[in-house]
Amino acid sequence: MAIIEVATGRKLTAFISPLEDADFKLITKKKYFFDWKKEKGTADLFKLTLQDESEILGLLALTDFPREFRMQIHLLCVSFDNRGKDKKYDGIAGSLIAFAARTATVKYFDQACISLKPKTELRAHYKAKYGMMDGGPQLFLEGARLQSIIKKYLP
Amino acid sequence: MSYKKLLHEHSPKELVESFVFPVKLSAKQQKAADLQLAEAREKAREKMTAEEKLTGRLMGLKFRMEDYFRAEKPNTEYSFGYFLKLYIELLDMKRRGFAEQIGIDETLLSQFINQRRTPSDYIPIRLELHSNNSIPAEYWFRVIEKDREGAMLLNKAAMRKKEMKYVTGGISVHL
Repeated sequence: MAIIEVATGRKLTAFISPLEDADFKLITKKKYFFDWKKEKGTADLFKLTLQDESEILGLLALTDFPREFRMQIHLLCVSFDNRGKDKKYDGIAGSLIAFAARTATVKYFDQACISLKPKTELRAHYKAKYGMMDGGPQLFLEGARLQSIIKKYLP
Repeated sequence: MSYKKLLHEHSPKELVESFVFPVKLSAKQQKAADLQLAEAREKAREKMTAEEKLTGRLMGLKFRMEDYFRAEKPNTEYSFGYFLKLYIELLDMKRRGFAEQIGIDETLLSQFINQRRTPSDYIPIRLELHSNNSIPAEYWFRVIEKDREGAMLLNKAAMRKKEMKYVTGGISVHL
């Protein structure tokens, strides 16, 4: 997957892998907003890092609902330095969402779906940014829209 | 820092580029939300084209193959035969019809699927052509290579013991 260095426009190779116990020492609330330790055991946790670098740029908590062929993005967070106007890298959240879509596709093929429960103020923006569809209080991606986000962020 | 404070510091557009926040629903609300989601998905699926479905299936197969040949340790659950069988199933085809389409005998296809025979180089090429390049030949070659690596690791001692009698000389330097 490609992450863009904002200052240069350079595309950098990133990896997403399962979060390991040792990573929790580096994950602070200040930098990654949520208490990620609390999520241990309740969801599958992943980290995004750049090639040959250990700094975690983003975190994802994913919950699988096998009977519905669906994976829910329970939590997602980009590191403090990469939020807002002064961010160093772009495309971190998109890559993590695309990774969730890929994971669901590996398991559920054409029936794959990812969903999230948006905060009211952010609902329209998730739809605009990631092409998400309304599913009652939740938003979801499946079919062509799910495939499209994978192609966009995981070329 | 709270969510409200973040809303003051960042625009909603910036927040969706950085976060998915937890939203708590009561059991009753969650049940209703799940039902609404299921209904919305059903409607979306009704509109899904055959091409969309096939794309999803092939993407799933391709990613599963990637995960297999990129993994550090070979996963014994998967093999060339497994992926070939899955490809045929995902296309909703019968083995006989598929064998005809790639110009091989059905018996030979079964031997590949049951891992009784290692495919020659022309097979991945034909599979690439059959899939309209959706699954490149390179993917099938890498799966075959991973299978070999797995077999080598699994039978390491037995293979060495078997070949030892044929090696009558050697060098003395050890790296």
